[in-house]
Amino acid sequence: MTAVLDVRDVKKSFGGITAVNGVSFDVQEGEILGLIGPNGCGKSTLFNCILGQLVPSAGEVRVDGKLVTGQRPSELNRLGVSRTFQLLQVFPKLSVRDNLILAGQEHRGSMLSRLLGPSDAGLTTTADQMIGFFKLEHLANEPAGGLSYGQQKLLDAAMAFMGGPRLVLLDEPAGGVNPTMLGDLKERLIAINRERRATFVVIEHNMEFVMSLCSRVMVMAEGKVLAIGKPDEIRANPAVIEAYLGH
Amino acid sequence: MSNLLDLIVAGLATGAIYALVAVGFTLLWQTSQTINFAQGEFVMLPAFLMLAVMHLGAPFWLAVLVGVLLSALLLGLAFKMLLVDPMLRHGVLPLAIATMALAIGIKEAVKQFFSAEASPFPSIVPAGDISVLGRAISLQSLGVLAVAILAVVGLTMLLNRTSLGHQMQAAAQNPTVARIIGVPVERMILLTFLINAVLVALASLLITPIYLAKFSSGEVLGQAAFIAAIVGGFNQVRGAIAGGLLIGVVDNLAAAYISTQYRAAVPMLLLILMILFRPQGLLGRAEERTV
Repeated sequence: MTAVLDVRDVKKSFGGITAVNGVSFDVQEGEILGLIGPNGCGKSTLFNCILGQLVPSAGEVRVDGKLVTGQRPSELNRLGVSRTFQLLQVFPKLSVRDNLILAGQEHRGSMLSRLLGPSDAGLTTTADQMIGFFKLEHLANEPAGGLSYGQQKLLDAAMAFMGGPRLVLLDEPAGGVNPTMLGDLKERLIAINRERRATFVVIEHNMEFVMSLCSRVMVMAEGKVLAIGKPDEIRANPAVIEAYLGH
Repeated sequence: MSNLLDLIVAGLATGAIYALVAVGFTLLWQTSQTINFAQGEFVMLPAFLMLAVMHLGAPFWLAVLVGVLLSALLLGLAFKMLLVDPMLRHGVLPLAIATMALAIGIKEAVKQFFSAEASPFPSIVPAGDISVLGRAISLQSLGVLAVAILAVVGLTMLLNRTSLGHQMQAAAQNPTVARIIGVPVERMILLTFLINAVLVALASLLITPIYLAKFSSGEVLGQAAFIAAIVGGFNQVRGAIAGGLLIGVVDNLAAAYISTQYRAAVPMLLLILMILFRPQGLLGRAEERTV
């Protein structure tokens, strides 16, 4: 079976510094892969190389077997690859529903069709389902900028799922979210993974969150893959303990 | 009292024109961090373009059409590509200074190549009065008010009720994410510049019959629109509308009840008070930006 995401020997250097040094891994359909590692180990750079925000210095990225190395984020978005952000990225003055509708649109067509076509691009029902799924019903018509941090994180996640993506890359979804909201977020992510067979890659520092959410965990250190395996194997791996504790 | 209604209606009419100009001002700021200090001259110029076309023998309607198209070309497309895009790379301040230079350039060019004298300009609204509640109200004031309100309502509907409008807002509020989800951000920004050019051309068409076509008329207009945008809330279209109407009425009442010599000082006073006590403006929201 073809992997949803296949990363082969990806390297990224900035000047003389190699941030990502020959990383290879794959993610199968329906899998949730956790990506952990100390600060500066190259996780975010790797994410940006996969998502087309950076062009890798070497290596290949394939989505569903299709070579996408160096494609622009908007092109990847059309191929069904979406992302959430470490720092919140919503459209603050638009309502929660309008944020979702925008995220779900293909954004194709002429200026005239955008002007004269339906303002919701036929996506109100899908947006309302997503609002219901992420339990944001009471906030549907509120401007997104007025939501609490945790609620905006939920909206950010909901936006990533609007287009019915094949693959979602989540960048620190738990960062700064309070424990109650974190439970909600995890439960929703697991539910959407089971119901829609959505495939995730998650960067996260919250170990408890990663270990309970992910089916496999990949550990990076100094730009390389240190270990990859089931959460229990990773927890017991001496090299991982050393990388984290610095012995 | 008898005079008050007339003064308010006339003030609202001028204010509605200020609102059109101020709305364009805030749109440019929101989408491309452009503070256009030439906005007043942008209102002055289309009237001269229309007059120039009329001098060639064209009828008024054709001159208006050509004037609006030329405005879109010069004050929309060329302004963005030749001045804003190259200057914005160096920051907001150099761009603001460049627009000041552009204001002087446009003003002096009109003085040099057209005339230093004020020229009369035909009105799209017929002269005369109509009776409202037993009082005579200037038809021109009402017409101007109606056209300006229609334009603002149309623009608001475009921004809030259409897919295009939502994409324009997305491009302004978060260009990074808008790009990722596939919104053609550059085209949306260009569209904002074109809308501003059409708004100033419309304002020109409405205000020039009242104040005549004069190379220096942009100074007052630009200042009024700037104050209107700040007073109403620089980051809100509805703030610019409220600010425009308020400045129009305050300006007119100040001229009637205080002194015509000090009329320009009253909106300025309002601006200072606003910056001191409510810097986000009447309807604006406090905004944080990384610098």
